[in-house]
Amino acid sequence: MPKATDGIQLEGTVLECLRDAKFRVELPNGHIVLAHISGKIRKNYIKILPFDRVLVELSQYDLTRGRILFRYRN
Amino acid sequence: MNTLVITRVAERQWHALDDDLVVGRGDASPRPDGRLFLSVDAWHDDVFARLAEAMLATLPRPLHTVVDEADVDLRTRWVQAGLTTRRREWEYVMPSGGDGTVPTPGLTLLPAGTAELDPLRHLDRTIRAEIEATIGWDQMPAAVLSRPLDPTHYAVATELDDYVGLARLALLPRHTKIGLIAVRSDRRRRGIARALLAEILAATHARGVGTVSADVHEANTAAIALFEAAGAHRTGSNLELVIR
Repeated sequence: MPKATDGIQLEGTVLECLRDAKFRVELPNGHIVLAHISGKIRKNYIKILPFDRVLVELSQYDLTRGRILFRYRN
Repeated sequence: MNTLVITRVAERQWHALDDDLVVGRGDASPRPDGRLFLSVDAWHDDVFARLAEAMLATLPRPLHTVVDEADVDLRTRWVQAGLTTRRREWEYVMPSGGDGTVPTPGLTLLPAGTAELDPLRHLDRTIRAEIEATIGWDQMPAAVLSRPLDPTHYAVATELDDYVGLARLALLPRHTKIGLIAVRSDRRRRGIARALLAEILAATHARGVGTVSADVHEANTAAIALFEAAGAHRTGSNLELVIR
């Protein structure tokens, strides 16, 4: 089964929750990406708040866009 | 995306492959009431559409999904796949602390973690049967449907040692979420839910957490009045979409 994905996974910190269901997430290198939440997080009603540590998958097509895959318990 | 291939990798999981690279994922999750909820993660519209098409063609209907109403792109993708809006839940956020509401005489409030399991289980069964016999569980927020009964997640109201109302809570490090506030049908309209909410707001404040949130069905006027009286304001909404 193929395992490689088209995304790059990094930990980050949520800076801001935007009004259009997106989030500004700061990566360890200081870059800030615009991220939405993954389908599984949405289905499980997991709330994302500023300062949450999250696992983000970046789009290889646009490294300014991301998808939040997981919220760590702070 | 000329070589896009959709593959079912498990009973309820799909991958979209482009040159053996996973460029999208689809997932279906059953709820305890038997309904299947879908999710698709893909960067491109055409990958999303192909995954949704494969899942909708294979899985038994009706099929559901949840979207943030403000997420127009995602909602549009699902509507283009054939789903329509079934229900809306408002998200309310209120400050912790409360207004100092004092329980009515004879009413005792048990903070989360102090209720006894057996009477709590009995009350939970009673309330679930009442809901099932009236509006049905498919009208309830998804967060309260499953999960083993754990007293650490419940604040309880008692009268003469009789468990009469409960609130299910998610106690997160910087946030409290109310999954359900329910009172036995023969004990309603006595301020029990208001007292339970006051207990939750005070307990949340005491552990240094500033906000409490709840998802409320747009037609649940009693819950909306309860939360708005506690200073809650709407911060967003979720839509449940369905295809039959």
